[in-house]
Parts: sequence; C-alpha cells; structure tokens
Amino acid sequence: MSNKAIEVINLHKHFGKIKALDGLTFTVKPGEIYGLIGPNGAGKTTALRILATLIKPSNGSAKVFDLDVEENPDEVRRIISYLPEEAGAYRNLSGFEYLEFMAAFYSRDREKARESVLEAAKISGLGERLRDKIKTYSKGMTRRLLIARALMMKPKLAILDEPTSGLDIIHAHHIRRVIQDYVEKYGVTVLLSSHNMLEVEFLCTRVALIDRGRILVEGSPNEIKARYAVKNLEEAFVEATRSV
Amino acid sequence: MSSALTNLLKKEIKEMLRDPKILLSMILMPLITFPLMGAAINISTSTVEESIRRATFAVMNLDREAMADQLISSFKALNVSLLEIQASSIDEAIQNLKKTSISTLIVIPSGFTRNLTLGLKGRLEIYSIFRSISLSEGAKASAANTPISIYEKMLVYQAIKQAFPDRNPENILDPITVRSFVIFKGRLLHVSPEFLQGIFMSQSFGFPMVIMLLLISAMQIAATSISLEKEEKTLETLLTLPARRLSILTGKLVGSTVVAAAGAVAAMIGVNFYTASIFSFTSISHVDLSELGLSLSPLAYLLLGAIMFVTIISALALAICIAVFSENVREAQSLIGPFSLIVILPSLVLMFADIDALPLYFQAILYLIPYTHSILASRAAFVGDYAIMIRSIFCIVLFTVIVLYIAAKIFTTEKVITAKLSWRKPRVSQ
Repeated sequence: MSNKAIEVINLHKHFGKIKALDGLTFTVKPGEIYGLIGPNGAGKTTALRILATLIKPSNGSAKVFDLDVEENPDEVRRIISYLPEEAGAYRNLSGFEYLEFMAAFYSRDREKARESVLEAAKISGLGERLRDKIKTYSKGMTRRLLIARALMMKPKLAILDEPTSGLDIIHAHHIRRVIQDYVEKYGVTVLLSSHNMLEVEFLCTRVALIDRGRILVEGSPNEIKARYAVKNLEEAFVEATRSV
Repeated sequence: MSSALTNLLKKEIKEMLRDPKILLSMILMPLITFPLMGAAINISTSTVEESIRRATFAVMNLDREAMADQLISSFKALNVSLLEIQASSIDEAIQNLKKTSISTLIVIPSGFTRNLTLGLKGRLEIYSIFRSISLSEGAKASAANTPISIYEKMLVYQAIKQAFPDRNPENILDPITVRSFVIFKGRLLHVSPEFLQGIFMSQSFGFPMVIMLLLISAMQIAATSISLEKEEKTLETLLTLPARRLSILTGKLVGSTVVAAAGAVAAMIGVNFYTASIFSFTSISHVDLSELGLSLSPLAYLLLGAIMFVTIISALALAICIAVFSENVREAQSLIGPFSLIVILPSLVLMFADIDALPLYFQAILYLIPYTHSILASRAAFVGDYAIMIRSIFCIVLFTVIVLYIAAKIFTTEKVITAKLSWRKPRVSQ
C-alpha cells in the first residue's frame, strides 16, 4: 500500500492571466484528515478540483495513491469521492433515489449498493424524509445528504470542500463526528478545506495555511500555534500572512 | 449498455419527466392545447353551419305577382324557413325585425314579375342586420344567396327548355367536360393536378413542421438537462463519479432523445387531433395514397428514420455544446434561442417554397444549414428520390460527427466546468 494518499508537487494553475495556484506542494498520509485553510481566492477549491480530476493543472503533478490525476483520471475517480462546496442534488429525485443512483456507480452488486444506501441513511440522519423529494429539503438537509453520499462508499480519499457549510451547530457537530468515525473505522483519508478554524482544529491531523496559491505554513494545529505563539489557528493565519 | 450508462439514463429520464416545466411544456401542453384548438375551431364551424341551417329569412313581398309567389314557393321547397311580413315601409319592417332573432330581410320590390316576364333583370333587395362582428353573422347574411341562386338556375333552365325543347340545358350551360390525369413517378393517376397539389401541400407543411417541433423541443430539453446540472450544482459531483465522461454525455443525449420523442409523440397526437378537426372537410383523408403510389417505400422509411435519428442526435449535441456555456436554465434557453433559427429558417422557407425556385444566394445559405438537408430528405422520401436522400444523409451525418466530436471534447476536458460565455474576466475558484 502506498504511504502517500496525496502527493502534490509544485502545482500551478492559470485561468488566463490569473494565477490560482503558484507552486503548491504537500503530501497527505493515508488515514490523515488534512485541512487546507485560506481566504477566498487562495486556491483551496482549485487544488481540490484538480485532485478530484475536474480540472487539469497548468504545471506540476498531483497524485492520489500513486495515481496521476492527469494520466489516470478514471482510476482516480474509482477511489475518491468529492463534495463540492456549493453542491446540490437532483431536486426531482427522493433522497433514497439519489443515494441509490450514486451507489450504483460504485458497486454492481445490488446488495452491496443497498448496504451503502442504508449506511448513508444512517449518516444523514434524515430518516423517513429520505422518501421525500429533495426539492422539499432545507439547505442543511441537502448538505447532510451530500455528506452521506460522499462517505457511504468508504472511499480511499474523501475530498470535502467546506463540508459543514450551511449546517447549524448541532448538525455540523454531528457531521464532524461522522468524518472522524469514518477515518478511525475505515481508514478513509480526508482532504478538506474550510473557513472554520475551529472545525479544522477539531478535525484535522495536519493543516496547511495557503494564500495566493502557495502554502505559507504546514503542520499539526498544535505545531502551527506553537510556531507563531498564538492561541488559535485564526491568529496563526493572521501572523503567517503578515510575515510573508 | 454499461451499468453506468443505464443508471445515468434512468436518472435523466426520471429527472426530466418529473420536472414540472418539462412535463408541462413538452408533453401536457401539446396534448391539451392542439386538441383544444381543434375542438374550438370545430365548435365555431359547427355553430356557423348550424346558424345557417337554422336561419329564418323574413320576406316582404311588394310585388305580389306570379314570379314573386314562385320564388317564395321555391324557398319553401328547399325547406328554407321563411316568415312573410307586412309593413308599410322597409324601415318599419327592419325595426320590427330588430325585435326578433331574424337577421335577414328579403324584399321583393313591385315590378319583379313584370321585369322577368319581359326578359329584363328581376331585382331583389336583401337587408342584413349585423348584431355582432362574428363569423356566423357574416355567414347568416350571405346564406340567402344559395336559395336565390338555385331559383335563378331554375329560371335559366326554364328559358333554355323553352328555346331549345329538344336539348339538355345542362349541355348548353356546361358544354365541355374536362377529365384530368396526372403522370407521377411514371404512373398514370386518375386525379386532378389540384388534388395532387393538395397532397403535396400537406406534405410540404407536415414534414418541416414535425422536424421543427421535434428539433426545437429536443434542443430545449438537452440544454435544460445540462444547465440544470450547472444551476443545481450537481455537475461537478457527477463528473467525479467513476463513470466515463462519454457515458455521461451519452446518457444526456439518449435521455433527452427519449423525452423529446415523448414530446414529439404528444405533439403529433395533438396536431393530429387538430388537423383532423380542421381538414375534416377535405377529400384527401378518404383517399388511399398507397394505391396512388404516393406512400413511402420500405427503403424510404429506413432512410428517413436514419435521417431523423442523426438529425435529433446532432441537435441534442449542439444544444449540449451551447448549454455548457450557460450557468443556469434561463441563460441556456436564451443561448439556444438564436440557434433555433437554423431549424426554424429552413423549415419555414421550405414550407412555402421549392429550394430550386429560390435565388442562388439564398439557396447557398439554406444548403449551408444542416437541417435544410433533413427537410429535403423528408420530401425526397415522399417522391422516392433516393439520391437526394443519400446526399442529405451524408451532409447531416457529417455535421453530426463534427458536433458530437466537439461535445465529446468539451465533456472530456475541464471546459465542461469552466466554459462561460461572458465578457467579464473568468471567475477563479478559491
């Protein structure tokens, strides 16, 4: 088994004249929860999209469990699941139909797919509401459904862009617990981005503070706080950007 | 079919058919509106016919001589409802009529009989009271002309019979009988050119209309399918699933085709009801076209089916290519709008004109539009011109391959996510 779940080396991405990523480099070990923190436009989503095979880097390389995302996108898609920040779900399907549709891509075995759907039902906590059409769901309910979809197949790597975005405190807490359980129980590796420093501190084994497409500092939350002699990651981030 | 494709296809059809906008506009509307339009026209036509049949005429006989009595008797013999009225003047008669439901007053002036017996023109006056501006009022007003012309014909026959007792008045009035034959596709047909022209006209309207309806609805469905994925932010998730990008594209194409076909069937059922109501008076519907050699041969059916298939696929792929540049359904529909012109223009022009009769520059423009070839092929199928059909298939297949290639290129690259039609700077993700 590879000892690197993610290996990103000198990643560049340009959108016309705009530089979204400027030599991003980091590695994530299997079973880690790795967080990317940064302001809007720092390049977090671009990095996640490249790893999710949605867009291609202009330069550099990105590998998921030794599979190059440019050369082997189909293979990469089999072992990852990606949750975009503003993701929605098919409004005219019921929650169950949506989960069944998603599960069918990962398993031809109906029984196995059914187990995944039941697992997702448990994660989402939506109960009987899963029989209703998604268009009747609140934003928080949809997000819970999407998180459940992303985790139900126990992917080797879950790429979660702002996983608790739009959730209230109780549900955000529930989702964080689920993510932690999944990592502990199934050895799932998680790469997430977040604006919520508390969330990152609570969840992540290691974090990278990024700005303008580059990593400013990387380490465990405690290491980063100690490095800047501050109480929390928010202050560390302010210090890190000031020192650039 | 791969399981991913089947899964995608099921989802596409389910999603689209459950979308109230698609269900209402593509399937329910044509099924309801066309028959309703036909029924409305039928009801108004029957109402007009009924009002003519039931029309009662008021007659004011100021002549009171033999020919005036004969005229009134001939009306009665034709079962025309008549009310003979007495009044001191025409004005008074009209005022009296206004109080009734009778709309037509026939005045037989004095001297009517004298004039006719002297070989002069007899004079009748018809006063029509228009109570509204409806079609039936006009029809009622002219309804009196029919029994009058029958009486006129009777007078003419009597005059001819008196002058030429041993001859048939019919032969004098209509001395030449014309029998028409048409040679079509090498066969002698016992029909008039006008009859054949009527059939051709119905085909000229029918095929372009069907192609136009089918393609526009297919393009709208495909564009909605893609733009909905973008609007609802489901496309990114879909593209990271373990399914080939081409399967996703195929799922969209086939799903849209199925829904568009359902829409086309609904439209055709609706149009059929509509045309059945409108053209129920014509003789075309009672003629077996296959006996006249005017039906499609099995080969023509096959080629026409192939053309329709590639035509729909190309329209769907084109719509998908366009919709990729939109961010929501409304934007996609406005982008599709101008492209619908390439379907509407040849359909409308070829409904009314033969392409060879158009100015050269216009012919060139039409030939450059791929959907012109679909319409030309549909007409060629009807007359069994396989050379034109094969040429059309070649053109439309070439266009389809190009559009499919572009659609596949877009789907297999990041363009499907990043493409935007905007003069603004591209938005950069965080």
